Amino acid sequence: MFEVFKKEIIELLRDRKTLFFIIALPMLIFPIILGFVAFLTSQASLKAEQQVHTYYIVNTQFSTVFSEEIFYHKSFKKYAGQKQFDSVEQLSEAVKEGIIDVGIFIPNDPKIAIQAGKQSQWQIVFNDAKAINFIFNRVRSVASKLSNELRTRALKDLGVDIRHQPALLTPITISKVDTADKRENYGEKLGALIPYLLLPLVLMGASYPAIDLGAGEKERGTLETLLLTPVTRSELVLGKFFTVLASSIACTLITVASLAIWVSVASSFVSLEAVKTAFNSVTAWDFILIFSLLLPVAAMLSSLVLAISIYARTFKEAQNYMGPLSMAVFVPIAVSLLPNMELDNVTALIPITNVALAIKEVVKGTVDQGAIALIFIASAALASLLLLSCVRWFKKESVLFR
Amino acid sequence: MIAVDKLAKRFKLTKEHKKNKERHDSREYDGYFHSVKNVSFTCNHGEVLGLLGPNGAGKTTTLRMLSTALKPDHGSILIEDDNIVKQPLLGRKAIGFLSGSTGLYGRLTAKENVEYFGKLHGLKGHALKAKCDELFSMLDMTTFLDKRAEHLSTGMKQKTNIARAVVHNPKVVILDEPTTGLDIMTTQTVISFIRSLKAQGIPVIFSTHHLDEVALLCDKIAVIDQGLSCFDGTVTDFMKQGGSTELNQAFLNLLSGNKHV
Repeated sequence: MFEVFKKEIIELLRDRKTLFFIIALPMLIFPIILGFVAFLTSQASLKAEQQVHTYYIVNTQFSTVFSEEIFYHKSFKKYAGQKQFDSVEQLSEAVKEGIIDVGIFIPNDPKIAIQAGKQSQWQIVFNDAKAINFIFNRVRSVASKLSNELRTRALKDLGVDIRHQPALLTPITISKVDTADKRENYGEKLGALIPYLLLPLVLMGASYPAIDLGAGEKERGTLETLLLTPVTRSELVLGKFFTVLASSIACTLITVASLAIWVSVASSFVSLEAVKTAFNSVTAWDFILIFSLLLPVAAMLSSLVLAISIYARTFKEAQNYMGPLSMAVFVPIAVSLLPNMELDNVTALIPITNVALAIKEVVKGTVDQGAIALIFIASAALASLLLLSCVRWFKKESVLFR
Repeated sequence: MIAVDKLAKRFKLTKEHKKNKERHDSREYDGYFHSVKNVSFTCNHGEVLGLLGPNGAGKTTTLRMLSTALKPDHGSILIEDDNIVKQPLLGRKAIGFLSGSTGLYGRLTAKENVEYFGKLHGLKGHALKAKCDELFSMLDMTTFLDKRAEHLSTGMKQKTNIARAVVHNPKVVILDEPTTGLDIMTTQTVISFIRSLKAQGIPVIFSTHHLDEVALLCDKIAVIDQGLSCFDGTVTDFMKQGGSTELNQAFLNLLSGNKHV
């Protein structure tokens, strides 16, 4: 078995294509892609922030204070054209045609309305489909400043002293006292993200060599030669399995290491306080625990992709099966992200979901040893079942000579 | 010595096969394709047996059963006194197998390929090195030992394949069309290799379509047609029964005679 393992590893290390996917891709390409996405996002939000909106106010005479505020606001520019608009419909048309960015419709004078005990209902007409949009918030902040001033003055006119006004407006306030420490809070968010990143890598690291070791050997005609040696089928399967497992773990470790390096490089330029606080409280023991939790998943996925690869007739057929499989891995991870999903005796038995939940618990610092033991047992049982089917398929003529 | 007795092997027909009833093969019935129905022959020490038959006669299936890759439905294969149908592991140790479809590991060098199979057969250390060196010089492989198999020429590959097939000192050597697609020089290498095995007293069974090779090498001939043995005997008997001193004509006569019966 060791000879098979050794030879497979040598062959794997000499295969540039697979090495590229296992080492180069996670090490360089992912940070580049992530960096590129971050760059584009920050550019987009910067652009949105710096954008100056052309505006048009219907009935400026009802609130000259507001009109002046907007006029001197650095993000707004008054519409300089000849056209006149006097309804919400006309403003909508103008926004659609791109004549203005935002239209503000003031139906009446708020000072008069408040005296009559009525609200003045203003309408802001703009295109709200963009993800990053500052228009509404900017208009609202100017309007609410004015609204607050009007209210303060009106209450004062009614004889309410300015010091009593907050209590009168909100007699009861409530605030949170959270028993969850910072780590638990960050852990809930970050801990859910980590399996999302790690588990597909485990699968990727396993599937590339697995295709080569099963279907690839069949296609090249070496499998028949291999089956004519006095090595038992179980030994052959185990040798191949450990190769796939090693590659899967190596792929994950390399990615995590590269991620750690890139995060530390990035944090020396920008301060990522949230990330730092969360990771500072995670001890080395927790890292070991996370890693050891990946082992059962890696073993399970390795045996699964190996079984698929042995079953497949050709390289291409094996690749066709891998596509839906990677989607199948995302589903249980998504399940673990559902609100209020927790690690218990039932969820500990659902493959992949169990490990995703357990990793979250580890990052949160609230891990239960019993549940982890259960995960190990469940995953080991599943992995050995899949390995057994590998051995069985390796003995079946209809699979080997399909 | 290897004795094959009443071998039979059938394969389940696929659904597509069952649908396509236009091309009916007489060996397709009961939902199975009866590839090999009854094949028997023997090959003694120091003998070379040529396995002949038209394409699709069941030669490769027969040889795959001999190599233990396929398990026969009926019959026995005796090597010395061991029935390798019942003990395939003994068979794998006793047989050296080479076919057109048995490939090499492209990313391993020629040397590593041969050594790997030696190790899988339990050879180690000095014994492995001595055996490999012997094969490398015998097959004149020293110039390309450290080249990756994927960069070797067809002839070099076939030499490596031969070394791989016999690295474990097999008691019987089985070759499935070993000269198909090879140039004259490499064919000659294969022929001299078969002769050296014969000189060592190792029985060799090889399937071929080249009857000149049969004339050159074989002591015995076995003919398979439609999954049935239709001849097993010496080359002289073959010519006598085929009614011609030309092997090609004798072969054709034998097959047509078989169809008349």
